[in-house]
Formats: sequence, C-alpha cells, structure tokens
Amino acid sequence: MSGIDALNEQLSGLQDAAVKAFAAAADPAALEQLRVSYLGKKGALTEVLKGVGKLPPEDRPVIGQKVNAVKQALADAWQATSEKLESEAVSLRIEAERVDVTLAGRRRDSGAMHPVHKGLQEMTAIFSQMGFSIAEGPEIEDEFHNFDALNIPLEHPARAMHDTFFLNDMSNEKGEPMLLRTHTSPVQIRAMQRCMEDGEPPLAIVAPGRVYRCDYDVTHSPMFHQVEVFKVDRNVSLAHLKGVLQHFLSAYFEKDVPIRLRPHYFPFTEPSAEVDIGCVFCKGSGCRICKNSGWLEVLGSGMIHPNVLASVGIDAEEYSGFAFGLGVERLVMLKHGIPDLRLFFENDVRFLRRMGA
Amino acid sequence: MKLPLSWLKEHTPLNAPVAEIADTLIRLGHEVEGVESPRADVKGVRVGQIQSMQPHPDADKLKLLKVDIGEAEPLVIVCGASNMGEGDKVPVATIGTSLPNGMKIKKGKIRGQTSFGMCCSEAELGLAEDAAGLLILPSDAPVGAEVGDYLELEEAVFDLSITPNRGDCMNARGIARDLAADADLPFSDVPCPDVSVDAGIASPAISVSAEDDCPLYMARRIEGVRVGDSPLWLQGRLLAAGQRPVNGVVDVLNYLMLDLGQPMHAFDAGTLKGGVCIRSATEGEAFAALDGRELKLSDGDLVVADSSSVLALAGIMGSLHSGVTEFTADILLESAFFRPARVSTTRRIYAMVSEASMRFERGVDPAMVAVAMQRATAMITELFGGKAGEVSISGAADSIQGGQSLSCSLKRLQTRLGVEIPASCDAVLSRMGFDVRRDGDRIDVTVPSYRHDISIPEDISEEYARVIGFDAIPATMPQLDITRPDIPDASIASAVADGFVQVITYAFIPRNEQRLFAEADGADIELANPLSDAMTVMRRSIWPGLLNIARHNLNRQQAGVALVEQGRTYVRTAGGHDENNLMAWLMTGEVQRDDWFAAARQADFFDLKGAVEAWLQNRGLSARFVADDKVRGLQPGQSAQVLVGRGIVGRIGKVDAGIADAFDIEVPVFVAEINLDALPEGKAPKFAPLAEFPGVERDLVFLFDRGTQAEDILQAVRKAGGRFLTEARIFDLYEGQGVSEGKISLGVRFMLQAADRTLTQEDSDAAMNAITEAIEKRFSATLRG
Repeated sequence: MSGIDALNEQLSGLQDAAVKAFAAAADPAALEQLRVSYLGKKGALTEVLKGVGKLPPEDRPVIGQKVNAVKQALADAWQATSEKLESEAVSLRIEAERVDVTLAGRRRDSGAMHPVHKGLQEMTAIFSQMGFSIAEGPEIEDEFHNFDALNIPLEHPARAMHDTFFLNDMSNEKGEPMLLRTHTSPVQIRAMQRCMEDGEPPLAIVAPGRVYRCDYDVTHSPMFHQVEVFKVDRNVSLAHLKGVLQHFLSAYFEKDVPIRLRPHYFPFTEPSAEVDIGCVFCKGSGCRICKNSGWLEVLGSGMIHPNVLASVGIDAEEYSGFAFGLGVERLVMLKHGIPDLRLFFENDVRFLRRMGA
Repeated sequence: MKLPLSWLKEHTPLNAPVAEIADTLIRLGHEVEGVESPRADVKGVRVGQIQSMQPHPDADKLKLLKVDIGEAEPLVIVCGASNMGEGDKVPVATIGTSLPNGMKIKKGKIRGQTSFGMCCSEAELGLAEDAAGLLILPSDAPVGAEVGDYLELEEAVFDLSITPNRGDCMNARGIARDLAADADLPFSDVPCPDVSVDAGIASPAISVSAEDDCPLYMARRIEGVRVGDSPLWLQGRLLAAGQRPVNGVVDVLNYLMLDLGQPMHAFDAGTLKGGVCIRSATEGEAFAALDGRELKLSDGDLVVADSSSVLALAGIMGSLHSGVTEFTADILLESAFFRPARVSTTRRIYAMVSEASMRFERGVDPAMVAVAMQRATAMITELFGGKAGEVSISGAADSIQGGQSLSCSLKRLQTRLGVEIPASCDAVLSRMGFDVRRDGDRIDVTVPSYRHDISIPEDISEEYARVIGFDAIPATMPQLDITRPDIPDASIASAVADGFVQVITYAFIPRNEQRLFAEADGADIELANPLSDAMTVMRRSIWPGLLNIARHNLNRQQAGVALVEQGRTYVRTAGGHDENNLMAWLMTGEVQRDDWFAAARQADFFDLKGAVEAWLQNRGLSARFVADDKVRGLQPGQSAQVLVGRGIVGRIGKVDAGIADAFDIEVPVFVAEINLDALPEGKAPKFAPLAEFPGVERDLVFLFDRGTQAEDILQAVRKAGGRFLTEARIFDLYEGQGVSEGKISLGVRFMLQAADRTLTQEDSDAAMNAITEAIEKRFSATLRG
C-alpha cells in the first residue's frame, strides 16, 4: 500500500472514530476533551498529519483536500453535538425552573376607599366639573348660620324636626349657643356672606361635609354626610334646578334616571320640592324598597327663600337662586344596593374591601 | 294623618280612581305615604250563619261547624274559638281568600277533619289589633254578603304626610278643597247650623289679658248633657283616621277637628271655679297636665285658668282634673285662635305634642272658630242632650292676619319658575280660595284666611307651580361661569393605594377614651344632649375611633388591619374652637401572613413609618421623625414627632400596651396622625437631567454605641461625603454575637457619582476616607470593614 493510501485510510478511520466519539459525548466538558484530543495541537489529527511530509510532492495536494474534508466533518460533528448538548442543557434548566403558575401571586392586601367617601368624591367631582366651586364650613356652628339665617326662627316647627345636638358651655360672640350643624346649608350662608364681602353674585357652590342629628335607629345615624349645592345669579329658575338635578342624577347613577319633583316644604326654599328618582331596583314597576310606588325619594330642593338671600344682604328682587342637599349615604346605598345604613359606620374591613374594590 | 276617601267625598264628589287621586295629592304637595284598602283587604270574607256546632272528634279545644254562606251546601269548618253558638252570624273567609295579616285560606285537614274555610276575629280582618274570639255579626246581617260591604269598610284610606306650612290641610275639608279645585269639582260650604240658645244658661265670664297670643276666644256652657259613647259611624271615622274613641264629647270635638281643622276643648264646668281667663302664666305656677306630668310654668306661657288653677296650656293640653268624663253634666266648650309661635314655643319647652298643638302652631282658620263652635254645640246637644247657653266672645276673627293682599310681577313669577303661567291657572287658585286679578304684568292676589303660609310673591309662585305641576316645568341648564376647577383631594386615595382601608368613625367619643390621648385641660367640647355615654365628647384624636374599629375587625378573624381615616378633631380654645383636619393611621397584627413564600410577620414601627413617609412623598413632601418619649398614650422609645421643614405636623408611635389591652388587642398597635392644616404645599416635581456617567457603589460598616441615631449618622455622612456623594443609606443593622455588648454594627451604602465624568478609584477612596474620619471623630465609632 502506497503512503498516500495508508494516510487516506488513517484519516478515514480517524474521522469515523471522532464523529462517533463526538456524538457520544455526554456533556460539554467531555465534548471539549474529545475536541482537544482530536483537533488540538497535540491531537490525533496533528499526529496523522505528521505523515504528510513523507509523501511525494504530487500527492500532497490530494491529501491536503482529504485533510480539509476530515477537518470539516469533525467540525460539523462537534458543532452538531455541541448544539444538541446546549439545547439539552437549556431544557434541563427550564425544567428545573418550572413553577406552579396557579400558586397565589405575591402581593399585599389591597386597601379600600370607604364607600361614603368615594360617593362624596364622585358627587363633588360631578358638580365641580359642571362649574361649581367647592366650599367647606365648620361642623360646630351657631344658631344663626344653622337656623336663623336659613329662615328657621326659634318657634318654627321645622326647627324641632332637626333633632339638634347642642354643646355645653359654648357660645358665639353674640352669646348664642353652639351646636353641631344639622345640615350643610350653613355653608350656603357662609359662602354667600364671603361673596358679598368683596363682590356680588354669581355664585355656584358645592359643599360636601359631615352633619349631625340627634337620631339613632336602623335608618338614622347621628352622624352622616350631605352635599349642599346652590347657585345664585340673575334669572335663576326652577327649570335650572331641574336641569342640574337631571344632569347630576344621571351622571351619578351612570344611566338616564327619570326624576320627579314633588311640591314640599322647607323653610329655606320657596318653592320647595322633594326629588324622587325612578326606583333603581325595580325600574319603576314597584317593589318592596320603593314601597310599590316606583319612586325613591333622594333629596330636598327648591328656590332659595328671599329671606335667606336677605339675611346675607343679597337683593332678592335682582337675584334668585336654587339650592339642594344630597344625602350621601342614601345615594350610595341606592347606587350599590347596600341594604343597611349601619354597615357604613361598623367599618368591617370585609365590607369596606368589597365596596371599595 | 289618615283620611278615608269616603270622608273626602262628603266635601266634594270625587270620582277619579284611587290611584289617580293619590297621584294628584302628590302633585299638589301632599305626600301619600300609603293607601290602605280595608274593604279590598277582606274580599272573599262573607257573612255566614252557624247551622250546627259539634265537638271535634279528636281535639278537645276544636269544634266542627256547619256554616251557611248562602250556597247550596253549608261549609264544614274546623274552628278553635269558643265565643260562638248555633245561629250566630260570623265572618267566614272562603277558600282562596288572603287576609290582611298575610294568611291565605286553603282547604286543609285539621286533626283529621277537612276544613273548608275559616271563621274570623276582628284582628284577623284587620279591624282591631287583637281579639278574644270570633267577630259575632248582628243578627240581621245578610247571609252570603261580602263582610267588607256589609260593614261598610273604607274603600281607601290615604296616609298623608302634611308639610308644616299646610296647617289648612290637616283635615278632610282642606285636602278636599285642594282636590276639588284641581279637578274643578263642586266644593260645598260648611254648614253652620243654628243653635237654639237657652236664655236661662249664663254665658261664661271670660277675660283675655294676653290678646296678642289669643286674638280670638269663644266659650259657651252646655248644661245637662249625658256623656255616652259616640255613635258607631263617628267611632268608625276616628278609627279610620287612626284615633281612639274616648267619650262622646271628646269624640265629637276630635271628629270636628279632623273634619274642619279647628281644635276645640271641653272643660267639665262642674270643676271650674269662677270665670275663665286667658293669661300669661306666673313664674313657677303649677300645672297638672292630662298626660300625668306636673309642670312648673314660666312667665309667658299662655294658659286658660279659672280663679284657682290652670285649666289648660292654651292650645296644647288640658289639665288632668278639668276634662270631660262620662260623669260630666255641664260643659264649658272652647273654640279659639292661639298665636302659632306661642303654642310652638311653649310646646317645645315642655316637650309636649298633641293633635291640637300641631294645628294651632301651624295656624288655624280664624273664620272657622265660630263655625266649629256651632257645629260642636249642635252635635253634642243632638247626641247627648243638654241645653246650650249664649257664646261669650273675646276678640274678632278679622283682627287676625289673613285675607292679605299681594301684588307681584307676572314676568318675575315666570322667570323664577322658568315656565309660562297660563291664565287658566288663576281659576284653579280661585277655587282654592284665592282672589286673583291680572292687570298686564301685575297679578294681585288676596289670600284666604286659612293660608298662613302665603306672604310673599315666591309663595304665589309655589302655588302656581303646584297647579301647573312640577313635571310640566322644563329642565334647562343654567349658565355656569368658567372657573378654575378645584383639584380633588387625593389624601385618602394615596393611603388606599398603599394598602390601607379607609374607615369613618363618629366625631363624638366616650370621655374615658378622650383621656387616652388628650389631657383633661378644659379643651374638651362636650355634647349637652348626647345620645349615649359612648357619644359624649367631640374627639380630640381619631385614634380611639380607630382602636375600636381595629378591635371590631380583629374579633372577626382578621389577622391584621391597616386603617386610615380622614376627619376633623375638635378643640375648645380661648376664643372659641378649632376644627383640625387630620389624617390618622392604625396598623396592627400581621402585615405578612404565613404564605408559601414567606413566614408571618407582625407590624412594627417601621411598617407604619414607611406608610407615612410614602404618603408624604406623594404630596411632594419629606419628613423627619424626632424621637419623643412624652406623647400621651404612646410607648416611650417607640414614639416620635413628625416634622416637615421646621414644623411639627404629626405624631407616630406604638400604642401603650395597657391601652391596647383595654381595647382587647393583644398584639402591638401602631398609630400615626398628620395635621393636614399644618402641612406646607408640596412642590410639583421639577425636571433635572439624568446622570450620564455610571456611579460607584461603596459600603462601610461601623461599630457604634447602642443608641446612636441613624439620622445623625447619615447627616454626618452627607456633610463629610463631598460633592460626589449622591446617596447614603443604612443597609445593615446588627447586634448580638460578634458585636460586643452595648454596641451595634451599622452598614452604610454609598452612591458616588459625577455629572461630567466617570469617577476614579482615587475619587471614591478620598470620599470614603473623609467619611470614615468624620464618623470616627463625631461618634465613638470604629470601622469594621
């Protein structure tokens, strides 16, 4: 056998052995060891190539081609195994990192806004966006702002209906006893007084706040929330009151609700109207909650009484105004189907989380 | 006020369906709280006659009845009552009938015997609250007839809520007047019968010294009456209107009050000494009221008195001893007009309320005073005999405000209502008793004597609105000026985003809870009329409220709670009082429960501090926390003042264990509060360029004396760190093994950065050396590594 044939055979044997060995490598380290042993400086291929120098010059290009082919085959085999091992390693890692995606996520208990506060903010925002300015006033009030200026004189039957909390040993500068405001209407007086100090109407105010009545049973809380809304300007009419009410109630309940105004009596408005909305539970067909009337009473309203305007120095010939007071708890109960007022003040976090979500 | 439809029909021929009448009442401003229909409620209950009665074979207390209800065969009915006998006529609820109490009559077996209906008591028919046995009907009751028809039960009874301005409608006539005017129906005048006067009976001596409070007073004697029960029809009226019959005379007066609106009073003339005078009470004068109370009257109270004692608080309540009883023979009958404000004031002072006072304080019709007197006299003498004397009169009806004239601009009325007022409305007002004349833009109105609520043009506009109907007024939007909208308060929203549940607690708390966090220094504001001991004083801290809510929730298997409340506190000051707007937080129990990834952890000071810091940061503010061992109610060593800038804005700390224990909370409780009024405006974020070159992070660990405060260390670090130090924070805190007693090991991590280049090793080494030197100099500290 000539030298070239022997070398060819050697190379073929080496190629077969190497490809087989590479394919059998169990891990990247073993593969690397094989690569070094076949293709490294002192590897098997280098060893075989030492024989090339002994060949006649005309045979060398032939064997050169053969060597290149073997090198290529070995590189391909190494590459294939390397990729195979790498993908196996990735699979192993992925398998090792597999999680149970159904386990609970890592999180804190969520907070919750009190439904009454949320309602108060929603209501205030609706009026604020319409162009009413937000005002607040003291909860500890004097009789003037809570009653007298609102056309509720001492002997007036309406004054007794207010079930007022009075305070011990407290009086204003005029010596009148102080009380916990029974409604947010005193803010109306204060806002009008402020307005008249350095100007004149128009005036459009929304006044949210806490109010107090000496009344405590299933449907009454001694502390509750109201939103007072009023506007004073030239030519303000009952039709405007209806417009603002319709807009507000539809915005708050997020649907078009029918409204009904019924003549009523409040000392601080004339004419006065109670406002009903179509029952949100039975859609007006009659149910237990609306006592089969199809209507739910939601608030009291009216045109500001001239005596009220006069009490703050506004000329009732020139100006008129409307005013109404929203019972926040009642509207929130109606909107969310909350059956019992007491839930609001029990503050059970299970209730609050459910309503505040 | 309850009014049967039949009563209204005596004044005007109403023919609309009941539901329509109810709608009209509502439109006119008379709130209909309910409509009862006693007759329809017992439909299916028929008059039956007991043919035979035998004992039930298997039950001692039951009977087997055969009852004829006018059908071919008598009904077999099992009955448990015992007050009936053969031949008696009783109400029989037939199969399929629903009774007012909700019971539905079905064919059923009672102890083995089939019963084909039920014999009823008054209670079961809704005619009485309770009953001892069956209702036995009169023997002439027609067998088979509907009981509702036979008893002439009311077709409809309106339960009305009359507004305080409409005293004129607290009676059948007033309501009927409004309905008649609206529907344009005839409305009959009140008959004012002639009364034959016996000249032998002296007219009573009356003297009125308080003419302002009593501008009209009438009285007469009726002698020789025999006070019996009032007739059944009259008792029926009173019962239908929700009033209990008392005796004949009282019933007649109550009936007329409900019919005409004029309250009257009858005294037993035999108990009177001398004439009557209507005067102001003397200070301390005694009055034994009908309700059993002994009152000490005050100067100014209007009384009716004889020469020896007070007979009545005028218009409110008679005395215990002067009232008419079944033994009364001679009556002094009173009909008067008492000034509304006087009645209202006195009634309120003595916390009294009566049907009479409700009407007087709203104002009665002066023109009805004499009419009612005549009607009462006629009815009493007709029903109970006796002879009437001449009426004594003080004052005059036309001296009382009423019948006043108003003049207003039609244009103004229309502008205020936002709708045209058609001339046709004037006719309705006329039928309501107004005299209306139009002249161009002017409308002149004369008000009827019974409308005390009409005094200004706006009152007229309301009358028109009622007549037009509020439904007919259009809804239009007013012009609203462009204003800078208020920015919504996000105080709660940002705490809620941080995991807190917002609560709302009462502003009044028990006094002992007030003392937990506020001294007894006279700054409390106390309620004069608290509802209970738990609501006596206006809170000066929100914490007691939060502690109560924490307890409530921990008792309901919550392992931990994080609460926040926004509200006011109330403090008495030298010049008056302050209302402070506060945020208050409470954290207790587990902040981390046992979970698959972590072990349970209880809240500590730093959980709450972090929340307060985050909340302030949301407002663009940062705070310092300065240890303060003297915060009332908080545990020394775990309490601090919160400062923003130089001002104290709040407090934070651990609630004294003793206090927590009093609220049954066994785990540590942390509370904080921030005074919103004391907070400066936060700064809106301003843009600054982001660092272009990477920073260098370095750590140093020192040993400090225990008690050295982190804030002091970091301040010293910042001062010494030079211009490249951008951040320094404590990243490790250790004491225990390897650290000697009285020492703590603190690791500080620094970030060094320059805006214009990457820092060199020399730069950061220099900073670290400067910091180390400063720390070791300032504190007794040594570098560990």
